Amino acid sequence: MVGMKSSHAYAAALTALLAFSVLPASAQEIEHHKNEKVKPPAPAPTVTQEMLTNAGSDAKQFLHTNLNYEQTRFYPGKQINASNVSKLRPAWIFQMDVRESLETSPIIVGNVMYVTTSFDHVYALNAKTGEEHWHYKHKMGPITTYCCGPNNRGVAVLGDKVYFATLDAKLVALDAKTGSLVWETEIADPELGYSETMAPTAVNGKILIGTNGGEYGIRGFFRAYDANNGKLVWNFDTIPENSVGVWETKDATGHDMHRDIAAEKAQLAKTGDPYKTLGGGVWQNAAVDLKLNRIYFVVGNPSPDLDGAPRPGDNLYTDSLVALDLNTGNYICHFQYIPHDVWDLDSVSPPILIDVKDKDGKTVPGVVHAGKTGYVYVNKRDDCSMIRFSEPMVAQENFWTLPTPEGARMLPGANGGVEWSPMAVNQRLNLAYAVNLHQPMTYQVQSSPYPDGKLWLGGAFKVIPGEEQFGNVSAVNYNTGKIKWKVTTPQPMMGGVLATAGDLVFTGEADGWFRAYNADSGKILWSFQAGAGVNAPPSAYAIDGKEYIVVGAGGNTQIDFKRGNNIIAFTLD
Amino acid sequence: MMSAKRSAQIAIAGIVAAFPLMPTAVSAASVEENAQICAGCHGENGVPQAKTTPIIWGQNEGYLYLQLRDYKSGARKNEQMSSVVAGLEKADFKALASHFAGLKWPSMNFPSPPKDVTKVALTAIGSVGCTSCHLDQFQGDGTTARLAGQQPEYLFDTMTAFRDGSRANNPGMSDLMKAVQPADLKSIAEYLASLQVVGGGQ
Repeated sequence: MVGMKSSHAYAAALTALLAFSVLPASAQEIEHHKNEKVKPPAPAPTVTQEMLTNAGSDAKQFLHTNLNYEQTRFYPGKQINASNVSKLRPAWIFQMDVRESLETSPIIVGNVMYVTTSFDHVYALNAKTGEEHWHYKHKMGPITTYCCGPNNRGVAVLGDKVYFATLDAKLVALDAKTGSLVWETEIADPELGYSETMAPTAVNGKILIGTNGGEYGIRGFFRAYDANNGKLVWNFDTIPENSVGVWETKDATGHDMHRDIAAEKAQLAKTGDPYKTLGGGVWQNAAVDLKLNRIYFVVGNPSPDLDGAPRPGDNLYTDSLVALDLNTGNYICHFQYIPHDVWDLDSVSPPILIDVKDKDGKTVPGVVHAGKTGYVYVNKRDDCSMIRFSEPMVAQENFWTLPTPEGARMLPGANGGVEWSPMAVNQRLNLAYAVNLHQPMTYQVQSSPYPDGKLWLGGAFKVIPGEEQFGNVSAVNYNTGKIKWKVTTPQPMMGGVLATAGDLVFTGEADGWFRAYNADSGKILWSFQAGAGVNAPPSAYAIDGKEYIVVGAGGNTQIDFKRGNNIIAFTLD
Repeated sequence: MMSAKRSAQIAIAGIVAAFPLMPTAVSAASVEENAQICAGCHGENGVPQAKTTPIIWGQNEGYLYLQLRDYKSGARKNEQMSSVVAGLEKADFKALASHFAGLKWPSMNFPSPPKDVTKVALTAIGSVGCTSCHLDQFQGDGTTARLAGQQPEYLFDTMTAFRDGSRANNPGMSDLMKAVQPADLKSIAEYLASLQVVGGGQ
């Protein structure tokens, strides 16, 4: 635990700023002269489990990264709707100290909003006015190992604490009112390639968190920590000691993956099960089914990304949906979308729990997930088995061409399809909304031994100079798999979606546009130019009877979109 | 462009001239004493003696630590550096990394390359996605090196060494450099060297 305990948050933040002004993070910081007057605590109400459980019907607050435990990102308020959204205007803009990749999901508790930045700053803001209550800057250790931007996707809230995780692989609890440190615990050793960018999930006194590291030969995990003291409650290794599986030669959609099973079996006989360095990070939130007392999450790519030779077998449970018992972390079921992936096509977009039609038309509890493959997959919640997959949302070219030493072109590229971007659903329309990238890449394979926590790609994936790139917003009927509408965007899409009961869909674009779409037709109803890439998921809330939509505009490291440092809240005139 | 072999000879000459009696066990020494050894090649004022020796003042702490660790383990090979770190331990590496990360990166003012060179560099950089790790302005972070303002000859040599495998302590970088056309490396080096250093120990 770091010994930074201040009774007042601003003092803590100032101390941190002074102490770490020499860190590289300061390179991206903006000089910011502050009023040094002591500020009163943030008036954040205590977050009860009941509030978290019922978050899906709470139009005043936004209590989970993806709105509710089911991760529907469907906001129940309809004050802002298809008939008046054209009058949506900025209510306030808050400029943060860090101008770097911004992927935070704003969390709103009462009138207090929590947002995070790259390099792990946390802000508490007045959600009505945009004024700052406190600002906490994580004391970053010297060792951080991460591949795709110094991102942080936000906080979880429970009781009187705010929880977030850091690039140097720590889980941190702050006082929700003051921003002072309550406890901090090391999740894993960053020198071995572990880092954190995801927001945690708070449930039943536990804080749930996975890990990054699929590009560094980690052994992935998903964990529950005690919300009171940061002690480990349970650990689930996403890579079992027997990771071989059933030698499946096709992906979930029936495409032949051109595996050389004989060569893999020979490798297995020679080097054994590769589970210790097989990757399998979990870098987006789990969905929670409180009735079944289960969690559902998706597991990322195997290590090394593009070289399958040193990792024979299906590489369980990489690129899979996994369900665990919430109390114990015990395995319940899994479904692998891509066995023995050699294209870095992680499963990462957060799974959504909704009722779906099974193959016989019967309504059953389902799990909906969008892959980097560009498919929306619909699975059964009881045994994880797949019901259907959608039409592909992006073109598939040379699918599944194996990487070669010279480089083989394939679409989707390593960013997808759907990247980490969360989907939203509208259950009245049976639609899931996903944002996609159309970004062809060449995949080159190169073999190298496990490098002790260094970058381990097993080759390279290259954006092809001169090839057109773009994106799309797709609405997919999860009961039929058909695409209802699709809007092409000039740039690849990364960020996330919010749907509302006002029949709207909000999502942002890399060139700074933040737009509202008609949920049923895809017609663009409102647009706002934010000046930097809107590559973060929007949230919504209401104060004093007035609804707000809020989103971060800070661009993105991974696909190098224009950076900024703004949190922008919108409301009707 | 100077050959790697010739570069190494100059580096050896520099270090031998400065420290004819190379210490082999200095773990008990203070960080300042250990840092003095480094100054022989890396410069008393942060400006290295040779163009192929990297600037380490203001370099990122985690990166410096990993390189010292890797010289000790042999994962990164360099005769001089192996001798320097032979008597040092993990705590010494951390102290040295912290020490040098806190010093101000020297202003070398490498010139901006012509537009056509910059274009070649940006195309190659965009293709393999260098900014994913080295970040928007090539300042790096944590265990990823700051490239902006680094000596162009060192950058070229390093990319070449990653490419041909002679620098073997980051196979991911080797993979990425193998995906870059050799003819583009010089342009990348010149472009990166010309970029402004932000932060860098200050």
